[in-house]
Amino acid sequence: MFKSIFCGLSIFCLGAVARAQGPGYVFSEEDKIYQKVADVNIAYDGEVRSLSGLYSQGPVVIALIYTRCSGVCNPFLLQVKENMLVADSDERSRVLVVSFDPRDGSGEMRRLAIRYGLDNDGGWIFATTPQISELINSVGFNPVWDSVRAQFDHEALLVGINDEGFITRKLTGLRDFNAFTSLLRSIRNEFILSYPLPNENMVFSCFSYNPETGKNQPGTGLLLLLLPALLSLVVVFVLSRRHDRKPRF
Amino acid sequence: MATLQLKKLTSVWIITILVLFVLAIVFGILMRFNQGNAIHLSPVGFYSMMTIHGLTMIGIWFVAGMAAVNFLLQRYIKVSAGINVFALVLTVIGVVMLWLVTFVGEFHTGWTFLYPLPFRGAWKEWATPLFLLALGVLGIGWFVWSAGMLFQIFRKYRPAQAFAWQHLRKGSPEIETPPFILISTVTLIGIITCLVAAVLLLVLYFAEYFSSGSFVNDALLMKNLTFFFGHTLANEMLYLGLASLYELFPEVSGRPKFKMTWYVALAWNCTMVFILTAFFHHMYMDFVQPFAFQVIGQMASYFASVPAAAVTAFSVLAVVIKNPIRWSLTNTLFFVGVTGWLIGGVGAVIDATISNNFVLHNTLWVPAHFHTYNAIGNVLFSLAFFNWAANEFGGKGHTDKFTRLKMTLLIIGGSGFVIMFYIGGAYSVPRRFNVYPQEFSSLSILASAGALFACLYLAVIVWFLVNTVNKCLKVFSAA
Repeated sequence: MFKSIFCGLSIFCLGAVARAQGPGYVFSEEDKIYQKVADVNIAYDGEVRSLSGLYSQGPVVIALIYTRCSGVCNPFLLQVKENMLVADSDERSRVLVVSFDPRDGSGEMRRLAIRYGLDNDGGWIFATTPQISELINSVGFNPVWDSVRAQFDHEALLVGINDEGFITRKLTGLRDFNAFTSLLRSIRNEFILSYPLPNENMVFSCFSYNPETGKNQPGTGLLLLLLPALLSLVVVFVLSRRHDRKPRF
Repeated sequence: MATLQLKKLTSVWIITILVLFVLAIVFGILMRFNQGNAIHLSPVGFYSMMTIHGLTMIGIWFVAGMAAVNFLLQRYIKVSAGINVFALVLTVIGVVMLWLVTFVGEFHTGWTFLYPLPFRGAWKEWATPLFLLALGVLGIGWFVWSAGMLFQIFRKYRPAQAFAWQHLRKGSPEIETPPFILISTVTLIGIITCLVAAVLLLVLYFAEYFSSGSFVNDALLMKNLTFFFGHTLANEMLYLGLASLYELFPEVSGRPKFKMTWYVALAWNCTMVFILTAFFHHMYMDFVQPFAFQVIGQMASYFASVPAAAVTAFSVLAVVIKNPIRWSLTNTLFFVGVTGWLIGGVGAVIDATISNNFVLHNTLWVPAHFHTYNAIGNVLFSLAFFNWAANEFGGKGHTDKFTRLKMTLLIIGGSGFVIMFYIGGAYSVPRRFNVYPQEFSSLSILASAGALFACLYLAVIVWFLVNTVNKCLKVFSAA
């Protein structure tokens, strides 16, 4: 009995310690989904407006970048631009490009828009916000300043916001057109089927993906469903071993 | 002959369950009034209430069936009082933790806590681990209780005898298995199986919770395991109630006890096997679930329910048709309960049919059918046992001059309550909405009407509670 309690407590404590040592940050596209984006003030075209004022006019796609980025921001914005050009006109939404670097001002953002040829496109807004911490916390984005490289360590994140301000979908990384259109449909409150692909952290996946054939095969997760019945058979076998030899009818 | 200790323990179970039942009904009524726009609960308040309403109802009617089977098993085998106390203590601790989690921690995933909802903390940070821990505490108590009873059954009956397999062969068997033993055995095995599924589920939840992202779960696996546990437990608690019916209904009606026959044996063996895969019918909307599982889900839903329902209905009708019956509150509750179970069961089988499910899924049809076979089905089986036991403990006869009035109010209240759900389901009103969407706002009157009928039902339950508690308390003053 003492051993069981000791083992149980040890597992609990070790687990708690392991948890406490974690970074507390996950690159998960499910993080913050269906939560409301912070209603921050955003500055563009020489005016300061609220984000809620913007999304209440229609769904918005937020792209988080900074102008001095020497990494993913440029290819990321280029791909968003290309995807927007290819998307059906009735599916297109406004793209709000927000800098998360406090050094960026309206001048830098204006020059960025000109560089991409989007300065006169009504579908694109290049903005800054004095409340960037609130905004990035509310969407689950956590850039980390790397003082050696003088760059932010960050992922490319696209956040879909519907007309009520809820985050309906997030896309991390440079994503293909299908993923992009699924984001555009989701911010119009269309239900999008999704199923996370098996990855190395998902030990008991119901399917294993074969990249050579491109097909899913049943995985260990489905086999795990047999376990309760098998263990119950063992329990029944063990319990029935104590059957009294002498019938007591 | 039940010992005084067992009577006291059963009395504590009965009183606890009835008090929690009244509170859970009040939560249900408040939710329906909110949907009817008669009162205004905050969304968090509504969903916390919905969570604790579901958890409490499932929990109390499961332990009600267990307490009844535990008490009645004493007629055939020796049952352990120690394990009964252990289960009671852990159940009380688990329930207190769950109430704390929902009302203080604002945990509001619904009782099905579908993955990954518990990790999407729109509630206090401590609520998710405490919720999972509470389920673990309840699971341990109930597993030990179930295994303890099964152990005692197998001490007297070989497994083949407990499953009544000798009745499936030709000729008269040397040893007859009482129907109560068969149903208790198959049900306890089902309970153990679904509790093992619950253990797996909790282990996977805790593994992800403590892994800081290095271990993630597969949503499909978690949903399968959740319903393996949840759907199976919800059905097994119904079978516990039926075990009491098989044991007590003929007895209190003044008729000979039910005999084991080949079809009763076959039906309940079918139930034991097929109920373990019937939960697949909860996954019809999951497009990644292998299609074969969907088919198995539909077939198992039929094979698990129809044979047992048919033999039970036949057996009950054989008792009451053209026979003089001593009608009392106990056997009236049993009889009406069978009717409610069958009506709700038909609703369930309709919903478990794939093509229908695409229309009915997540509409009010779902709460309509499960409230039917619970509120005017399984609950009445357990109330029948409570009434019978209270009369045994209270030392009075089984006559109740208000039987007709109580049953009339109970049927009107219960039926009216579920009919409002069925009408809502027919109009595709979505379930689990704290306030109806604008498209259905004109139907919110149905929710308020349902709540009013539920108030009638509640009034009878409070009346029943007062009478039953008074009788049960007499056990404690007995020498």
